[in-house]
Amino acid sequence: MSLVVKPNFPDYQTAPVQRGFNPYADNGGSVVAIAGDDFVIIGADTRLSAGFSIYTREQNKLFPLSSTTVLGCSGCWCDTLTLTRILKSRMQMYQQEHNKTMSTTACAQMLSTMLYYKRFFPYYISNVLVGLDNDGKGVVYSYDPIGHCEKRTHRAGGSAGALLQPLLDNQIGKKNMLNVKEEPVSQQRALSIIKDVFISAAERDIYTGDSILINIITKDGIKEETFQLRKD
Amino acid sequence: MFLTRSEYDRGVNTFSPEGRLFQVEYAIEAIKLGSTAIGISTSQGVVLAVEKRITSQLMEPTTIEKIVEVDKHIGCAVSGLIADSRTMIDRARIECQNHWFVYNENMTVESCAQAVSNLAIQFGDSDDDGAAMSRPFGVAILFAGIDEKGPQLYHMDPSGTFVQFDAKAIGSGSEGAQQSLQEVYHKSMTLEEATTSALTILKQVMEEKLNSSNVEVMTMTPDKLFHMFSKDQVEEALTRGLLVEHPVTLTVGQKA
Amino acid sequence: MSILAYNGGAMVAMKGENCVAIAADRRFGIQAQTLATNFEKVFEMGPHLYVGLPGLATDTQTVREKLRFRKNLYELKENRLMSPKVFSAMLSHMLYEKRFGPFFVEPVVAGLDPKTYEPFICNMDLIGCINQPKDFVVGGTASAQLYGMCEALWEPNLGPEDLFETISQALINAFDRDAVSGWGATVYIIEKDKVTIKNLKTRMD
Repeated sequence: MSLVVKPNFPDYQTAPVQRGFNPYADNGGSVVAIAGDDFVIIGADTRLSAGFSIYTREQNKLFPLSSTTVLGCSGCWCDTLTLTRILKSRMQMYQQEHNKTMSTTACAQMLSTMLYYKRFFPYYISNVLVGLDNDGKGVVYSYDPIGHCEKRTHRAGGSAGALLQPLLDNQIGKKNMLNVKEEPVSQQRALSIIKDVFISAAERDIYTGDSILINIITKDGIKEETFQLRKD
Repeated sequence: MFLTRSEYDRGVNTFSPEGRLFQVEYAIEAIKLGSTAIGISTSQGVVLAVEKRITSQLMEPTTIEKIVEVDKHIGCAVSGLIADSRTMIDRARIECQNHWFVYNENMTVESCAQAVSNLAIQFGDSDDDGAAMSRPFGVAILFAGIDEKGPQLYHMDPSGTFVQFDAKAIGSGSEGAQQSLQEVYHKSMTLEEATTSALTILKQVMEEKLNSSNVEVMTMTPDKLFHMFSKDQVEEALTRGLLVEHPVTLTVGQKA
Repeated sequence: MSILAYNGGAMVAMKGENCVAIAADRRFGIQAQTLATNFEKVFEMGPHLYVGLPGLATDTQTVREKLRFRKNLYELKENRLMSPKVFSAMLSHMLYEKRFGPFFVEPVVAGLDPKTYEPFICNMDLIGCINQPKDFVVGGTASAQLYGMCEALWEPNLGPEDLFETISQALINAFDRDAVSGWGATVYIIEKDKVTIKNLKTRMD
């Protein structure tokens, strides 16, 4: 062992310094959607945050694409802004090219291909697309960031997705319950479950809170509703 | 039309002082040399019937393909330069598949015609999309299809213009056939009636005697969608149809 | 991936009216591969004292034996039962002794005080930081799912039957959304004069 002690002066280090750039931000937020026979409800919290700071307490994360289709986004907010603007223009282009409004099912497939198109630099968004299908039935489509698309009756996505999904499985999907009859969920019950699960999420997830914005989609159009959550 | 022919008929992208594009007009003329094809749209479905010109005894008739499937719900009959038509059908098929891929739904017949039309007018100067074609396509197309609006028939000419028709004839016998169609067509026509009428009119405008190997028949119905008649089915349609005395008086001498 | 999630497992304890409950799944696996479906993670430490040790399975067993040793020594020396509160303090201290080379377990303690029969629940992290809330504690790989379930299902002053139903539904629905826990569950309902142990049948996938 050398007896000479090497002094360490970090300011005079000559080794090359490598710096990384992270193109993504996690702005939090949760989206919950429940589909019924003739309606579909989607709710998203209105908190936009990064780390321990809150950007705003009143950010709408629901994007109506047509009179029967709404998209809920959470995750990287800048990606959400870009994706929804592209979607809006794609909706208009489709309208003009094919002389009809894009159906919810077509929208769902298009979103999947759009996300997969950016397979190696994905939009970092948890997407939940809801709407009425061609028969007027409520449908919920959920996506991963690279376009995997799943059609289901209920879905919780975003920062509190893991907390809320099992609750929906239990309450809407009637999972692990004995002697229950299969009956479609009513609009009133779906609405109250959405409010309940968000109250739970706001308790434990710091990225979910402030209030929720709810869209109720029926054949008569889209009805908006808000509900206050804890703001701490 | 040909009186003002001048050097303006050389460039495909040069208007004549009268505001005409001669090459396009010539292309439209070219399709009048093609074999006759007839399409009739009824509430039950669409029928397409085309003649196949058997120019030699040694020819294999089944290799002449003038009715093709674009997608399960869209079929095409072509007349004119068949080689050109392959390019257009290729585009139609690609557009239909792409639409299904992106939107998970069938392309409408109108959108399909629009897509092919976009290809048809890409003659002239090259642009960002790549090198241009030197001339217009010498093809007329009948699109027969079913979408949410029901059974439909579209016609497209070499200029890319496409129009919906109840019944339409293209090719060498088209003028006479179109007149006959006008007389026989009515809104409550059944598909069987339409098939019979199409064959009867085709028989009247064809030079050769009509038989099961020099005609192609296809139906587009909501349940079976694209259905090409087999030789036996054509035979059956012929014997069934031609027994009926057709009420059409045909003006002779339409063939080019 | 964290060593804490190497074997998988879900655990929850809840307070009720004069009773407490603790429940855990029964899976033992190595990452995605399930090796056993009868693996106990909750251990009896006294007549009204139970401890659950979700985390790395080898540490689950080591910590259990160390706890049993220390608790027995305490009870022999003091000639009295160890209360859940003291037990938790002892466990916390034991974990902190290994502050820089910890046991990879996140313990959950549930019990009744040997004298007052006051319900007690707490959990702690792998280095012994105690958390002692009034309602419920969770641990293991399905903790996010359990928080969501418990936050919605738990209410104050549940009787033993209702507490059993609540904790069972919370645990099962939570671990159904976790790939590395599930495959059956065990629930302990601890009351003053009896402890009820129930093995739950669940989906096995």
